[in-house]
Amino acid sequence: MTQPAETTRIAENSAASAPRRGLFNRWRREPLLPEAGAGGAPLTAVIAVMSFLAVLAMASVIIINQSAGRWTAALESEITVQIKGASAADIAAGASAAMRVLESADGVLEATLQSSDETEALLEPWLGRGNASAFINIPAIIEVKVTPAQRADLAPLRQALENAAPGAVLDDHATWHNRLATAAQSGQALAFLVFLLVMSAACAISVFAARAGLAANRDIISVLHLVGATDDFIAAEVQRRFFVLGLRGSLAGLAIALGALAGIAFMLEAGVGRDSFLPQFTIGGWHALWLLSVPMIICFATAVTARLTVLKALRTQI
Amino acid sequence: MSAQAPIVEFRNAGLAYGEGPETLSEINLQLGEGEFRFLTGPSGAGKTSLLKMIYLALRPTRGQLLLFGEDAADAPREALPPLRRRIGVVFQEFRLLNHLTAFDNVALPMKVAGVNQNQYREDVSELLNWVGLGDRMHVKPPTLSGGEQQRIALARALVSKPDLILADEPTGNVDPAMSERIMKLFVELNKLGAAVIVATHDLHLVQSLGKPVLRIADGQVTRAPGRGGAS
Repeated sequence: MTQPAETTRIAENSAASAPRRGLFNRWRREPLLPEAGAGGAPLTAVIAVMSFLAVLAMASVIIINQSAGRWTAALESEITVQIKGASAADIAAGASAAMRVLESADGVLEATLQSSDETEALLEPWLGRGNASAFINIPAIIEVKVTPAQRADLAPLRQALENAAPGAVLDDHATWHNRLATAAQSGQALAFLVFLLVMSAACAISVFAARAGLAANRDIISVLHLVGATDDFIAAEVQRRFFVLGLRGSLAGLAIALGALAGIAFMLEAGVGRDSFLPQFTIGGWHALWLLSVPMIICFATAVTARLTVLKALRTQI
Repeated sequence: MSAQAPIVEFRNAGLAYGEGPETLSEINLQLGEGEFRFLTGPSGAGKTSLLKMIYLALRPTRGQLLLFGEDAADAPREALPPLRRRIGVVFQEFRLLNHLTAFDNVALPMKVAGVNQNQYREDVSELLNWVGLGDRMHVKPPTLSGGEQQRIALARALVSKPDLILADEPTGNVDPAMSERIMKLFVELNKLGAAVIVATHDLHLVQSLGKPVLRIADGQVTRAPGRGGAS
């Protein structure tokens, strides 16, 4: 049977002819569906982009959660007492009386009467420098830090302040707190919605890629069927292939997203964009695990979607 | 399946492609355990179509087909893989997987059946040695000649020791010596109990072995004069 032409081919294919040896090749499983059949590099690239967006969306959820927590914690421990009056003397007298009440009240950790200059500075954006006191009697402002127990029931303190200083108004920042909480929840919901949309897009891409893979490998799948493969066997092959592609792509996307987040955190730490709305953030512990879980979620979602797509398509065959 | 049930049985079966007329009609055929049949007929007569129905690439559009005593014409998809695993097919166009090595191609039926590699490695190597490709088992099909590919297809069909062997022009691309070896192998496997159907144009081959012949012409399967076959 040996012919000269065959001898030549053996030499040409010496690399391919070499038996696979080595520690890892012992466990290496030759994929029954070819590497190029399921989208390969383009699918990996798309999944990397999806993973990048999903990680950023998840990071947004975490950062908004952290920032809202910090802001609301500050608001929850602080209240403000405002003393109004018909004249500067009335205001000063009321402020002194209010300070005496606050210093003697249980649950008050700290009470700081702002100077008239500090209060006037708060009005500068609206009234201009040095103009406020010419037109109005500027109220006195007392910043007060209270214990959580006091915060839970401010009615007795409010009553005591009104009795001591009739023009005193206690502001517990409830309106601002509620608005902030609503804004934070909306931001988190929006970021989570983006995350879900990105996941849905990844699954949709997986459906298209699986169908394209089936069409490209029609002959191979036919042979697998004819030698006795079940639909589950073929679907498992496709699932394994998509899992590997998904893992490669999503880890690449995670790496790029983590690099981008680290860059933003570094710039904020260095003071770049200090006046922007972006808050400083750190991601560690459980939050880091959430981010690291995103590529795994994408892997499983794309692989399972591909499996279900293939099973559905194979049902239409003989 | 009862012990006496035929391996293959067609009852008034017919096959039509799409809405067209029947390519094969009124097929009544039985093949028992350990029987050997040649299948002959002019090109386009329907030899490959008949084989396709037996290896379940097509199903009859009317009538009954029983394989190993089980209804294969109307069986649900889930019931087909166990039947297909009992059939070894040498396809006319080989149908090898070009991205797999010769070894992995031959091992394919074992892999899909979930057999551990340790259990089939020796069988696969032995078969490849027997067909003269022991030194090329890690080469992929596109770099092999037509004859070599046919021998790999033959090894793949036999590796799982099937109860039924179907071969569509199995000697079409090999030299006379290898052709004789392949036919002797079929005869030996037949003696060991496997039922065999060989579709061929090679009348010399048919006459030399003296086995019963089925002839397909004008869409009808008939027993060749003087030999066993269609009932």
